[in-house]
Amino acid sequence: MRLPEFIYHEPENLQEATNLISEFNGRYGIIAGGTDLMVKMKQRLQNSQYLISLDRIPALKTIKEKADNIIIGSMNTLDDIVNSEIIKEKLPCLKQAAWEVGSPLLRSVATIGGNICLNTRCRFYNQSYFWRSSRETCCKAGGHVCHVTNQEDACYSTFVADTVPALIAYDASIKLVGVDKTRKLSLADFYTGDGRMPNQILKGSNEILTEIEIPIPKDDIRSVYHKFRVRESIDFPLVGVAVMMKGIEEKHCQDARVVFTGVGSAPVEAKLAREKIIGQQLTPDLILEVATMAVSELHPVKTDLMSPNYKRGIAQVLVEKALRDVGGVNNGKDD
Amino acid sequence: MTDYKVVGKGLPRIDGPAKAMGKAIYTVDVNLPGMLYGKILRSPYPHARILNIDTTAAEQLPGVKFIMTGKDVGDVRYAFVDTPRYPADEHPLAIDKVCYIGDEVAAVAAVSETVAEKALSLIKVEYEILPGVFTVEEAMKPDAPLIHEELLEGTSAWEDWGVAQKKQQREAEINVNNMSGHSAISFGDVEQGFKDSDYVREDKFELKATAHCQMEPHAAVASYDPVEDKLHMWLSTQGIFLKRFLLSKTFKMPIGKIRIHHTFVGGAFGGKIDLFPYEFCAAYMSMKLGQPVKIELEREEVFMATRQRHPMVIKVKTGIKKDGTILAQDIKVIADNGGYRGSGPIVVFLCHGFSFPIYNVPNYRYEGFSIYTNSGIRGPQRGHGAPQIRFSIDSHLDLIARDLGMDSVDIMLKNIRHQGDLLPNGDRLNSCGLKECLEGAAKSIDWENKRMQFKAQPQEGRYKTGVGISLCAMFSGAMYYPFASAAIVKMHDDGTATLFTGAQDIGQGSYTTLSQVLAEELGIGLEDVHLVAGDTELCPIDIGSFLSGTALVTGSAVKLAAADAKRQLLECAVEVLGVDDIGELETQDKRIFVKDDPEKSISFTQAIQTSVFKKGGNPIIGTGSYKGYSETDRYPSLAKCKGLFTGAYGFAAHAAEVEVDILTGKVKLLKAVTYHDCGFSLNKTIVEGQVHGCVSMGAGQAISEEIVLEKGQLFNASFLNYQIPISLETPESVDQLVATYEPTGPFGAKEVGEGALAGILGAIGNAVHDAIGVRVYSLPITPEKVLRALKN
Amino acid sequence: MEKTINLTVNGETRSIAVDVNQTLLEVLREDLGLTGTKKGCNQGECGACTVLMDGKPVSSCLVLAVKADGKTVMTIEGVAKDGSLHPIQETFNQKGAIQCGFCTPGMILTTKNLLDKNPNPSLGEIKEAISGNICRCTGYVQIIEAITSLAKEKNARGGV
Ligand SMILES: Cc1cc2nc3c(=O)[nH]c(=O)nc-3n(C[C@H](O)[C@H](O)[C@H](O)COP(=O)(O)OP(=O)(O)OC[C@H]3O[C@@H](n4cnc5c(N)ncnc54)[C@H](O)[C@@H]3O)c2cc1C
Ligand code: SF4
Ligand code: FES
Ligand code: FES
Repeated sequence: MRLPEFIYHEPENLQEATNLISEFNGRYGIIAGGTDLMVKMKQRLQNSQYLISLDRIPALKTIKEKADNIIIGSMNTLDDIVNSEIIKEKLPCLKQAAWEVGSPLLRSVATIGGNICLNTRCRFYNQSYFWRSSRETCCKAGGHVCHVTNQEDACYSTFVADTVPALIAYDASIKLVGVDKTRKLSLADFYTGDGRMPNQILKGSNEILTEIEIPIPKDDIRSVYHKFRVRESIDFPLVGVAVMMKGIEEKHCQDARVVFTGVGSAPVEAKLAREKIIGQQLTPDLILEVATMAVSELHPVKTDLMSPNYKRGIAQVLVEKALRDVGGVNNGKDD
Repeated sequence: MTDYKVVGKGLPRIDGPAKAMGKAIYTVDVNLPGMLYGKILRSPYPHARILNIDTTAAEQLPGVKFIMTGKDVGDVRYAFVDTPRYPADEHPLAIDKVCYIGDEVAAVAAVSETVAEKALSLIKVEYEILPGVFTVEEAMKPDAPLIHEELLEGTSAWEDWGVAQKKQQREAEINVNNMSGHSAISFGDVEQGFKDSDYVREDKFELKATAHCQMEPHAAVASYDPVEDKLHMWLSTQGIFLKRFLLSKTFKMPIGKIRIHHTFVGGAFGGKIDLFPYEFCAAYMSMKLGQPVKIELEREEVFMATRQRHPMVIKVKTGIKKDGTILAQDIKVIADNGGYRGSGPIVVFLCHGFSFPIYNVPNYRYEGFSIYTNSGIRGPQRGHGAPQIRFSIDSHLDLIARDLGMDSVDIMLKNIRHQGDLLPNGDRLNSCGLKECLEGAAKSIDWENKRMQFKAQPQEGRYKTGVGISLCAMFSGAMYYPFASAAIVKMHDDGTATLFTGAQDIGQGSYTTLSQVLAEELGIGLEDVHLVAGDTELCPIDIGSFLSGTALVTGSAVKLAAADAKRQLLECAVEVLGVDDIGELETQDKRIFVKDDPEKSISFTQAIQTSVFKKGGNPIIGTGSYKGYSETDRYPSLAKCKGLFTGAYGFAAHAAEVEVDILTGKVKLLKAVTYHDCGFSLNKTIVEGQVHGCVSMGAGQAISEEIVLEKGQLFNASFLNYQIPISLETPESVDQLVATYEPTGPFGAKEVGEGALAGILGAIGNAVHDAIGVRVYSLPITPEKVLRALKN
Repeated sequence: MEKTINLTVNGETRSIAVDVNQTLLEVLREDLGLTGTKKGCNQGECGACTVLMDGKPVSSCLVLAVKADGKTVMTIEGVAKDGSLHPIQETFNQKGAIQCGFCTPGMILTTKNLLDKNPNPSLGEIKEAISGNICRCTGYVQIIEAITSLAKEKNARGGV
């Protein structure tokens, strides 16, 4: 289908943008790169009367180092992230995750802000208008049933953005700007876990995500992002995991973060696994135990074409490998 | 071998520059003044009765020009198969019942796509939902709901042309619910054969529906001119004359009143043969309005509502002697053809047709059913039955070889057919490079050293590799309207020539190869050939680009036409050059030479001038025609699998090396080897391209491609979720032509383009078994299936 | 809602009134008659609609035309100079990288971007660069061969 009709605004600064947002309360959509939004609108999953483009706000396009932080404007494209010298050097895991999003044709326009704000997905939801007309409207699309779980008024659509696990592992926080208020919150707190309105902006906070702030990792921090998908381009992650580890001199781990995408309605951090690993010496056995524990914290539902069990198996494989990679533990045969 | 100047070379394709510059016009690119845009309203239910259609609101929408429903065209019926036994069962728009999700219910023409889309949403259809059947098992049950209850009458092009007998008796003896087609044949004594065997094994295989994924979506532009009373159409199709015939039949319009114009075709693979409702509706609305109408399908519609490959359940039972000689084979095929018959009866016939030319099985029984279910329509797709049956038989033989501790290549070699063999139906293998293909492929994949690695010594680590091999056969053209191809070669004063051909270049390079055939035969360069193609008015009739007929059938017609023009040129030169007979002359570089005295020559231009002045003004036009069949009355019978099937069989052997990640279950094709017997390769670059394309498509279908259906609803109607191979999955691809000489083909050429797909599926399946020591019996071999197989 | 945008297409700057809900693909194909840019999926999944926007390959079916305001766009029609084929086009044809040709415009523009920024790509880089452009006909083999030989040629000539 072609795009529905809307009125288009291109504010030239943040103030103008937030004014429009409060004026159009509930009837607007924000467009960044548009790679997700355009599809949603063609599928009539979003029918905003107004579109507000962030293209012409230069302040959102910078990447800079400030004190001990790296600050990334939300309108940087994923290509900008991949090609940024600072990010390459200081935030390799983010670079890796950004590089694995979609295909090159998407990364040239898709933004990091759009990736953070990406709506959750489901095989019953991300379909055309015609497709959805075969069935009763599901919760996420405004109805009351869920075709996955048959429950009422609950949605388990899946969070699948690639860059977010890396950002959370790096302890990123974000800046949200409303018409008369600016707030900073940790990225993990941005997500609600409710498949219907998976983040605060989608829940209707009338804010713009302006920047991401990441404390520059100390030298003793190592991190990786591993993504599993059927084809190594175009596809969304079936499961993705970012693993960050601190202080692995002598194979003793001072701190670690394990954050998943693709396995729940929000990014999922394996907290028990974290507790388990802190202070321990990394051995193949410990890695197996920690990975198993991490996976026990995951409860994927069948929102795509792979079974939840299969996804858990993949999560296990990815975490084990990631832990070995950052921990410098090589078991020879599985790598 | 003869020293050819133009054929056999890897010349760049003649339509390449236009395509590279974005100048090639496809149907989707056709824009006519005053053109309207059409859209189709489709059923969201797999099986339902239409109680009422209310178009009032849509009609009132400004910009809407026409709305049509089944009521307007109720009596029109057509189908891929249309015979007394299997009468046509499709309507352009549903009359009172819909049979699958996507079934056409109404069509709209409006001033823009946007208005047309909006109009669709304003049409109100009341449905009574009926119980559906979604698997062949369900559908065949005695108490299953019937998808098509009424018995219809039908006639076929064959009868219209008097080449087949009228009115055969319906098969009353088979009583299977929702059956749309049936083929059965046996020879020898199968039961005795099993008794005499040392080892008997039976296996069941399953294959899912797959999509063609032509990159150009289906589209049609229709423009009816009331003044000349003529319907002009631009279609994305594989066969313009078949389309014209079907349009003429459905519109009850004289065939000369319909003209199909040339456009480039952005891929077809068998999915652009049938007449489609959107084509009919575009034409119908254009005729009602006297204005051009364009209908372009969305990608989702292409997946859901054009054609898919038949999902099948295939059982194979084989009896074999200790030394590997196959004594008996019993094959049962059940194909799911979806909500309408599509090519159901043909595919179950072809499964036999692509099974029996490979191995010499003295006692053989085959039975195939095609069955209606409430899912999308299945039709031809590259290989049409061959991938399914070849995968099953060669997987099964590999399993037998493993049971017996034998080498499957040895078993294959022991049983394959050879050049000169007479097939049970009477077809003769005038050329057959099967043995050379098999040996070559085995060698190239390093079969001796690599096979059975998992047994010899368990491979360390996460990634296991294995090799597999499989064979396939393909027809080179078969009996289908218009049965034959013709070609015209028109000489120009400067000695260059224009080829007029009704063939379609769907990407397989036929414009180039046909031009090469002309150039070679006539003695001019490829750059001296001009082309007029793909237009029913300007070009002579053509069999169309399916069943791999273009190279052999149309190629032969072109060669004959060129020979005809050449003969006329030579006849003019006889006198001028003072020789007795045209046999003393030869042509090259647009000149005619005396063979024994090459100094004595005249240019084509001079010969043409001579012709004009001395032969009644004849400017020299050569014509030729060819039928893919010898003169026979043994036409093939779908039901009985009797009669002659094709003039020539193409053969291939595929070998694959895969890597299986036993932790994730992912299968990666590392190397694909194709040894292909296409007779003679008219253009090396083009033939290689066909082989690589086949390998990629076959690999996709073996590993990741699958139409995912739940209760008739298609969950992955997009390139995001229907996983066709991307550049990163490209394997090392080896292809080797095994040159045989097909005496009936132009310069010895026969089919290429379809056969090179079928064997790769079995090769990959066998390679996966070789790598991990367990079998996955159904395609595609998804990561989940691999892990499940490993667990058991 | 209409808006006038200034767009440099294939070197020519033009001012066009577009509907704000038109994609760049629709404006190129329908308003500017540049039908060389193809629509394969309309959802950002196939790359048939690839054009270069400010030098970068993008899926034009996902880009609002108004977002191209002030930008430079190159379509396949702008690749050949003075009627003669660009070396990429020439090589694609020589090597059999074109079959049905429907993916070709996008594939060539993606290749152009790759070679413009990296005249000496490795095999892996070539496969990666075209990984968003789907081709059903060729199995990519001859496309990859064509790009590889272009890279070699460029190197032999000493860079871009
Ligand atoms: C074929 C295909 C494959 C894809 N594969 C992947 C993949 O592998 N991994 C992946 O993570 N994603 C993938 N995506 C999704 C998408 O392309 C990316 O997530 C991209 O980063 C989204 O960014 P954008 O700028 O295009 O977002 P947009 O489409 O512009 O916006 C997305 C959402 O975020 C909101 N938004 C954007 N920016 C802001 C802001 N600054 N403030 C407030 N709200 C904002 C928008 O309103 C909208 O709801 C894929 C998409 C397609 C079409
Ligand atoms: S999980 Fe249920 S409610 Fe949520 S999108 Fe899927 S079907 Fe709809
Ligand atoms: S048409 Fe734009 S990516 Fe397919
Ligand atoms: S050449 Fe046909 S899709 Fe690429």
